[in-house]
Amino acid sequence: MNLKIFLFTLTLILALSNAEAQISKAEIVATGLTCSMCSNAINKQLKSLTEVDSVIIDLNTNTFVVHLKKETNIDPGILKEKVEKAGFFIGSMIVTMSFENVEVADNIKIEKDGLSLVFVDTKTKVLNGEAKAKIMDKGFVTKKEFKKLSKSLSKYPTYTSDNDGAYHVKVM
Amino acid sequence: MIQNKQFIPKLKCILITAVLLSINVKPVNAQLLLGDTLPDITFQNNTDSSINLSSFKGKVLLVDFWASWCAPCRKANKKLVDLHKDYSSENFEIVGISLDTDRTKWLKAIAKDKIEYTQLIDPHGFDAKSAIQFGVEALPSSYLFDTSGNLIAINPTDQEIKKQLNHNKQ
Repeated sequence: MNLKIFLFTLTLILALSNAEAQISKAEIVATGLTCSMCSNAINKQLKSLTEVDSVIIDLNTNTFVVHLKKETNIDPGILKEKVEKAGFFIGSMIVTMSFENVEVADNIKIEKDGLSLVFVDTKTKVLNGEAKAKIMDKGFVTKKEFKKLSKSLSKYPTYTSDNDGAYHVKVM
Repeated sequence: MIQNKQFIPKLKCILITAVLLSINVKPVNAQLLLGDTLPDITFQNNTDSSINLSSFKGKVLLVDFWASWCAPCRKANKKLVDLHKDYSSENFEIVGISLDTDRTKWLKAIAKDKIEYTQLIDPHGFDAKSAIQFGVEALPSSYLFDTSGNLIAINPTDQEIKKQLNHNKQ
């Protein structure tokens, strides 16, 4: 029994130390008073970031697909700032990250490359390779959705506390 | 030694000229300003013919940038179709320039919106050369030119267009 716990802890520690969570892509849906695709402002703001390789606009899903340069780290908060600078809000942001054998589970927190990620509504699994995660925090979902989430995610103590700096993500 | 003395002022002169020239270089991001002339750009129309914008000189011309996926543009198309019907007997022309990258969607939209005025395409979104040359930052964007091809209004209202047409009648 003790050995089991020991082994589990060991894998967890190993997994944590290997946590690679570099963001390679962010899929952003923007909302606002006017049609977000009809303005070149978001596109321009996102392209102004040195970490951004290209921005592809998917007109079928009204999504800005932001491809990030390899070997760069970006904080999703910076992407959010840029969209807001263009006069819009984030409706949803799904980030693609690469993981190297990272075991994730509900309410587990991992730290890597300056980002803290808390996994919500997530079943225990090992992430290896690319995975998509939706950012659930305030400002990364619509106001309406956030209202709903602050109830449904209230079991995660860090969720509604503003300044802990962690992103709450749901693996897609 | 003497040669060197002569060379240094020459070099200074070249450097100063170079600096002055670099200051004078116009920004790459061109943008049409009021009073500017109708750009000389050739486009493909919806029946695969080449049409140059400058061929519309002599008429009051409304250039309308739009795209099939732009909901506010589609709404504006309805108004433009009516305006075109009402003023087609005048010396007035509307030219739609689509930034659609998908030609099929563009053609479908023309049919659906029952557009009869000239339809041209620059299929590169906001990166289209014509969009950059005109300074299009949002869709729809429209540009009104007078009969001599000078830009007289950006995003004119119906009222402004009608005023210009009535002014020409007198």
